[in-house]
Amino acid sequence: MSEDRSRILNLLAGGKITPEEAERLLGALDARTSAAEAPAGPAIKGDPGPLVAALPKYLYVKVNASNGDNVDVRIPIALVRSGLKLTSLIPQQAMDQINDSMSQHGMSVDFSNFKPEDIDELVAALREMEVNVDAKNGDTVRVYCA
Amino acid sequence: MNVPPLILDVRVASSRRRPVHLWLPLFLLWPLALALGALALVFAIVADGVLLALGRRYHHHTVLLVRSLEALSEARGTVIRFSNETTAVDMTVQ
Repeated sequence: MSEDRSRILNLLAGGKITPEEAERLLGALDARTSAAEAPAGPAIKGDPGPLVAALPKYLYVKVNASNGDNVDVRIPIALVRSGLKLTSLIPQQAMDQINDSMSQHGMSVDFSNFKPEDIDELVAALREMEVNVDAKNGDTVRVYCA
Repeated sequence: MNVPPLILDVRVASSRRRPVHLWLPLFLLWPLALALGALALVFAIVADGVLLALGRRYHHHTVLLVRSLEALSEARGTVIRFSNETTAVDMTVQ
């Protein structure tokens, strides 16, 4: 069994992807391996397009307020990744001001803790994240990737 | 690096006024931004060189500038929609 195939099956076994997604990824993998195989080369051979296309590309934030106000934001995940990479380059003095301002608004997040080597892992985890908030007053907030 | 945002599409629909559709050609700003960016890049390289020679810990202004442009280029596809009972605003970066 190839490493890619076992990785997909592990993701399925771990509940990180649905059976439909696993089927789609395995199908893409089969299509790729049926193409001409080189005896040696990179870990991902052939066209990675189907695999890449299967990944979510956007982060969605949807807010429906009970008073009728609706906010719907779609952000490219590539922008999130670039933004996170940028935080590691911001001078410490500016970062302290950002952190202070964020904590004053109720968000105690220390952006200086984001290390460049962790960002890809963070973005990969973000793709699987889903947040659903249903407030008592009828407000709903949904954050997900698709 | 991707192609930077070229168009900002803004639609405003209101029950009280006529709908407005603005098509803002951001690509017209890019020649000016390119000139300013090139100037800023020169200053950043010189500043980083001086800071590095002085032994300062932070000397990443050039990388910060390049990464900022990279982040800006990734903004294509961003959509912001707001609506209430009377007004709907839709902004798309293309």
